[in-house]
Amino acid sequence: MSPIRRFLRTPEAVAGAILLAALIAMALIAPLLFPGDPQAIAGPALLPPFQDWSLPLGTDRLGRDVLAELFHGARTSLAVGLAAAAAALAIGSVVGTLAGFAGGVVDEVLMRITDAFQTVPSFLLALAFVSVVGPSLGIVVIAIALGTWPGPARIARAEVLSIRERDYVASARAIGMHPLEIAFREVLPNALPPGLAMSSVIVAAAILTEAALSFLGLGDPNRVTWGGMIAEGRAVLRTAPFLSIIPGIALVLTVLGVYLAGEGIVETTAVRRGLS
Amino acid sequence: MSGFTISRRKMLAGSAMLLASTAMPTLGWAQTPKKGGRLVLAADSEPRNLNPAIVASNGVFFISSKIVETLAEASFDGKDGLAPRLALSWEGAADGLSATFKLRDGVKWHDGKPFTSADVAFSALQIWKPLQNLGRTVFKDLASVETPDDLTAVFKFAKPTPFQLIRNALPALSSVVPKHIYEVGKIEDNPANTAPIGTGPFKFGEYKAGQYYRLTKNTDYWGKDEPYLDEIIYQVLPDRTSAASALEAEEIQLAAFSAVPLADLDRISKVPGLKVITKGYEGLTYQLVVEINHRRKELADLKVRQAIAHAIDKDFVVKTVFLGYAVTATGPVPKNDPQFYTADVPTYAFDVAKANALLDEAGYKKGADGNRFSLKLLPAPYFNETKQFGDYLRQALAAVGIDAQLVNNDSAAHIKAVYTDHAFDLAVGPPVFRGDPAISTTILVQSGIPDGVPFSNQGGYKNDALDALIAKASETLDTTARTDLYKEFQKEVAADLPLINVAEWSFISVARDTVGNIANNPRWAVSNWADTYLAD
Repeated sequence: MSPIRRFLRTPEAVAGAILLAALIAMALIAPLLFPGDPQAIAGPALLPPFQDWSLPLGTDRLGRDVLAELFHGARTSLAVGLAAAAAALAIGSVVGTLAGFAGGVVDEVLMRITDAFQTVPSFLLALAFVSVVGPSLGIVVIAIALGTWPGPARIARAEVLSIRERDYVASARAIGMHPLEIAFREVLPNALPPGLAMSSVIVAAAILTEAALSFLGLGDPNRVTWGGMIAEGRAVLRTAPFLSIIPGIALVLTVLGVYLAGEGIVETTAVRRGLS
Repeated sequence: MSGFTISRRKMLAGSAMLLASTAMPTLGWAQTPKKGGRLVLAADSEPRNLNPAIVASNGVFFISSKIVETLAEASFDGKDGLAPRLALSWEGAADGLSATFKLRDGVKWHDGKPFTSADVAFSALQIWKPLQNLGRTVFKDLASVETPDDLTAVFKFAKPTPFQLIRNALPALSSVVPKHIYEVGKIEDNPANTAPIGTGPFKFGEYKAGQYYRLTKNTDYWGKDEPYLDEIIYQVLPDRTSAASALEAEEIQLAAFSAVPLADLDRISKVPGLKVITKGYEGLTYQLVVEINHRRKELADLKVRQAIAHAIDKDFVVKTVFLGYAVTATGPVPKNDPQFYTADVPTYAFDVAKANALLDEAGYKKGADGNRFSLKLLPAPYFNETKQFGDYLRQALAAVGIDAQLVNNDSAAHIKAVYTDHAFDLAVGPPVFRGDPAISTTILVQSGIPDGVPFSNQGGYKNDALDALIAKASETLDTTARTDLYKEFQKEVAADLPLINVAEWSFISVARDTVGNIANNPRWAVSNWADTYLAD
């Protein structure tokens, strides 16, 4: 059975995949459906949802189209989530591979640094970083990656420790390959899959962290983000609760989708490993 | 002015009667103040220094004006808009070189010592002039204070100082603190700065950080039968959304300074037992202002500034950002000021086409992406409304091809970025008009102010004609001539646009029906509350 079919046989994985596909579709078609600035004022302020079909989800306190903001917010959330996860995986696997493959003092030093990062709550780290450097999308990505790379680093190291004793590594040594070349061309690609399985959790965490930062006013103010929408809606929570609830639901569904899909991938790979 | 006041008061009385006639049977409005009771209200900030003589700001006054009194308080119907407090009468000499204050007899400090003219002299010379944020400008020429007897203080000025300015400054700048407490040690480090001692109707009780301030009744207060309340508790509720629910749950009885968000007022006004009061802040008008960094070559061009003024739809700002709880502005003096305001200034109607034409004329053509140039826009974080106006301004500027990038900062970082580092192109600020342009308004456009002075001209604007006008007004003694100079000043500012005045707003109080004598003076929230009471 192919991994994809196996993946599709777990119902939660399918649900997750559908949610994710919807999110990606939203992000991709946002500029087509809502060209121009999503923050442009489109109608009367605080229009409730389902009143005016040209503004189906209503408007916020300045009269901006909530649906357009929601779609463009999906772009920001997904971009931040993917970029932060990619950055965390890249840093983590390089550090983990170096530590695991080199061993000795290098291993000790790199792993103590990893420990140091892991002991600081990642959200606090992101908060401190953004408030010092100043909020912009790139900085938010770096801030989130900064707190999440130790996880992949530890996993990569554990994988590398077992892989480096394999025969093909020994033979690569025998033919005189440079140790760094062995580490990154032979060992790292084989140590990646468990880290990749973890990436779904990292993406979900990154989307949540970005939303939390935006909620606290530390997101990029020139972009629509779901966290920022919730924060803005909070001031009118009693009179216009939909302004917080709509992006809140979007956030919940996204994180749920990423998590379920991730679970599906883990199960699929676990079954394959069990078979092999 | 008096004609206006009378008619307004009549109207107020009329509407109150009307209200009372419908509410009387169910609510039973108490007409005679009742003694006793504890007033619990929302506080959204926790000022560290509670000495209003040093820090003359509304956040400090809100708490300490009940403890430390000023020479006079603002009043709706008093002469020159003032009511006596520690001073009974005041008079300026014709040459502008002295001002005489007759003080109230029989006033005691909270520690039992008598209040005398020595305390006034000490406060003025040792604190207001050298240390106070606003007093530094107003009292800069104060040379000495003579005290011929215990109840007379004569202010002597080195240069002629308009008495109109001194008079207008009394409500906010003349907090008197006890000499016998402050003459020991360094004034800035005095323990009374955090546990103030004054002559007011309430004594400082205790402060629990993050929880509450407690003030207790001063049984020795000079006002007959006053104060009515036994205790005032300022419940710290930093989250603006929680004040409304605390009011509804009857945990607090009053939320002043718009602690209840404007968007909630419509709903909360329908809650039985709660009333929304828009009066009582007439003397504390905040101005929504676009601060401009004239070091940017585009913004140094008057045409660009005019274009920005034309790009802003002031009515939209009032209606949407302030939900109608504000008025549009024409210039640097608010419309509700009875002495100085003039409507006879150049105005800038909302006109996107004209703004675009002005920008084209200035030589900033739209590029391929529709943008003429980019700007950094820093909205002040102190109010929801300043932040929202920042969002609006970004859209308004986009409509005329100016790409504004928002930069959000916390309060401290915003003040540093704008007023010290000048790291802004446009900023949104909420300066306060304090009854006289010379107190805190001319400083917004005048040149030669050192870096780092907050809420002043840090945009590098320099206009010799305007500077000369400000200098002349500051030494003109005749009230009419001085007022005319400030009318000229408004015209000049509106014409040359060193900054753009967008709107003027004040605050809203929400209180339970039982709280009496609310909003009975133009600075009510920061007045002494000696006559505030709680009905059953």
